[in-house]
Amino acid sequence: MNESKFTIEHHSIGDIKCLKIQGYLDAHTAPQLESAIGNLVQEGKHKIIVNFSELDYISSAGLGVFMVYIEDVRELGGDIKLSEMKPKVFTVFDLLGFPMLFEIVENNHAAIAKFSN
Amino acid sequence: MVAILNTHNNQISASGSTAELEKIREFVGAQALLFGFQEVDAFQIALAVDEACSNLIRHSYHNDNNRQFVVKIEQNNGELIIQVMDNGDSFNPMSVPEPDMEEYFKKFKRGGLGVQIMRKVMDKIEYLPAQTSTALNILSLTKRLA
Repeated sequence: MNESKFTIEHHSIGDIKCLKIQGYLDAHTAPQLESAIGNLVQEGKHKIIVNFSELDYISSAGLGVFMVYIEDVRELGGDIKLSEMKPKVFTVFDLLGFPMLFEIVENNHAAIAKFSN
Repeated sequence: MVAILNTHNNQISASGSTAELEKIREFVGAQALLFGFQEVDAFQIALAVDEACSNLIRHSYHNDNNRQFVVKIEQNNGELIIQVMDNGDSFNPMSVPEPDMEEYFKKFKRGGLGVQIMRKVMDKIEYLPAQTSTALNILSLTKRLA
């Protein structure tokens, strides 16, 4: 079976964890991201940046991953901040009003600054 | 400008696996561009079809990749019509009520957004359940070229 075009790179910036996601985030690949964020939350990491700079596609299955963990991380004083989204990917978030709930910022520096505040 | 779609190459078949979604999106997106839609519209039309097929694969075919469905594209008077045809249990996605998104976010709800994306993107959605045990259910998603 062909592997889908989706990868996750992990980085740490102090106590902040950054997941750089690449490719297509759909019903096929969303479980990979759900597992990656779930592992961070289990390890007690609740300041998370998801960098979208190389993500070319997201469907509702991808949006749903963020809904799974946002309440938990915020209760622990953290957040999942979304950065560097391509305009076409942002349109999917915007269609359903996700910017009401999620902080979507220009780049990782802005996300780190938001955590510092 | 409305291009004439290649009627010999206007449909693909797929199995009940989410691994098939990428090829479905590529097919639908390319056909929408050929029809004359801007890139962002073609992207969103492919998204709406992805949502329809994801729901079908998960809820009706239960990720059984031995089962097949067809995605077919037609045109009519400046409208692009994408039909998803399957032989699973009939289910009209339009029977799913529209969520109140403020409430959805306030209660951190999960799931159920695919149909809402289809509604937001497409101009018309129709569902024709199979009338006999050998017939196919047909979900038609229509987008007008502005």
